[in-house]
Amino acid sequence: MNRRHLLAATGAAAVTPFIRPAGAQNLVRATLRLKWLTQAQFAGFYVALQKGYYREAGIDLTINPGGPNLLTENLVASGADTFGLSGGTDSVFAARERNLPIVCAGVMHQQTPFVFVTRADGPIRTLADFRGKTITTWFTGANFVLLGMLAQAGLGRGDFTMQPQQVSVQPFVDRQVDVVTATRYNEFFTLMQRVGRDNLRSFVPDDHGITFPRDTVIVSEQTARDRPQMVTAFLRATIRGWRDALRDGKLGVDSVMSVAPTLNRPHQEFMMEEAGKLMVAGGAAQNGLFWIDRPVIQAAHDFFLRHEVIKTPLDLAAAYNSSFLEAIPLADRMA
Amino acid sequence: MKSTAMAALRLLGGVILAGLVWEAVVVGFGIRPHLLPRLSDIFAAIALTPGAYWAGLQRTAAETLIGFAAGTAVGIINGLVFFRAPLLRDMLLPVFVVSQTIPVIAFGALVVMWFGNTLMAKAVIAFYLTFFPVTVNTLLGLNSVDPRQAALLRSFGATPRQILFRLQLPMALPQIFVALRLGASLSLVGAIVGEWFGDNTGIGVLLLQAMYNESVVALWAAILCAALLGTGFYALVAWAERRIVFWGAEQ
Repeated sequence: MNRRHLLAATGAAAVTPFIRPAGAQNLVRATLRLKWLTQAQFAGFYVALQKGYYREAGIDLTINPGGPNLLTENLVASGADTFGLSGGTDSVFAARERNLPIVCAGVMHQQTPFVFVTRADGPIRTLADFRGKTITTWFTGANFVLLGMLAQAGLGRGDFTMQPQQVSVQPFVDRQVDVVTATRYNEFFTLMQRVGRDNLRSFVPDDHGITFPRDTVIVSEQTARDRPQMVTAFLRATIRGWRDALRDGKLGVDSVMSVAPTLNRPHQEFMMEEAGKLMVAGGAAQNGLFWIDRPVIQAAHDFFLRHEVIKTPLDLAAAYNSSFLEAIPLADRMA
Repeated sequence: MKSTAMAALRLLGGVILAGLVWEAVVVGFGIRPHLLPRLSDIFAAIALTPGAYWAGLQRTAAETLIGFAAGTAVGIINGLVFFRAPLLRDMLLPVFVVSQTIPVIAFGALVVMWFGNTLMAKAVIAFYLTFFPVTVNTLLGLNSVDPRQAALLRSFGATPRQILFRLQLPMALPQIFVALRLGASLSLVGAIVGEWFGDNTGIGVLLLQAMYNESVVALWAAILCAALLGTGFYALVAWAERRIVFWGAEQ
């Protein structure tokens, strides 16, 4: 056992470059893979990087943006990236079910970040009105949330048309579909721009008893086991960055736009505001940023199990590890 | 010389005319900006953050050039080796063909795991798309040389090396340049696709950001940058072809 452990550790040291100390101050090199392209949704990480919080925590961090063709869980499990901000509770479940050795060390968005949007002057006023309508949504988890919501209203799969949503919300704007899925911080802004805020009606999963915390911080099981102090140091620096960004939204947007200057500033300011609301909601109000709200995650897990998105119950205690967060005093974690 | 200047002027005139038609059509027919924005709006967007576009242009150009140069060198060497060693050709060429059937998107995710978000990762993808056509066309060009001409040189006492550099390689050059012109476009595609796997700088990054933020003006700005880079690079290769293969350019 011991020798196997040693062998595994040696092998890992050969393939995981972050273990190598970098620079004179004994900084540890590490990378963070985001779940999407650089935008204000990730402002706190960029603030922490630019203000040197990661360096002060002993980490020489590189932030790698994500994109449509990348799966953060794979990159973290394979050791290509040290830390990951991955899809959410749903993608952590999926990864654990595939036996990917990843652990969730924190949760950024405490509420479901997406909503289902219809026209305020349209025929849909309640969930029951979804009958016979055309809906576009993301087939990466949001589809099941909607199915669950509609099941509560007594609607089965055959009662409406559900199509995969492409990049653009334009089909909804052009009235080709009745319901569109939008994250509160991103697509909703585009919809407001093209249709007008007052002409939109949102159906919020959390109002119907379904909460899917998303944007999860993940590390490999090996990192969690061998370098818990580094994980805590990373979270501490990250929370420092987010506290600054939440307090001063302009600073957050500036940090992001210094990396991606062609972004649209009003859109990023809206995103900063809305993403911030998701971060301080729910359990984060009492337990601080990145809190892992176990009852909520258990409920999401049971919901997925009931809808057979995951086939067997998962060991949530192994998949979600709060110990890194709990090593930081509560006062330092509060927004 | 004078005619070159005139040709350049005519080209410039054509570009300006196309730009004016674009602007006039959009304004005249009232085309909605999310379908096709005004050219002047696109230029204004570039002028707002010229640094980002300039940095992207430089980065993508570097990736393209490195991948293209490596692909050209390896392709020509492959062609020579396969020409000299038909056994090796029969063994390896099918493997190369199989390698080219892997969609570059599938390949890109692997390259990120191997090389991370480095300039090299994109150059590798550009290389991957370039080396194969160059290999095939070099081999094709070398095989098309009349063996009687080689026999004649040999009868004059020429060494194999002399025959290669004085006869076979020059005769293969027009065919090689066909592949290089193809490679010029392909290597740019490779570099841009490579940038879709998580990076901060590059035309591909700007394209992706604009696409997913539904910012049509920024999307067109990135497209214009890609077009500028692609056209410029293609023109450079075509110019080199005219200078080097002065005897037999088909066009």
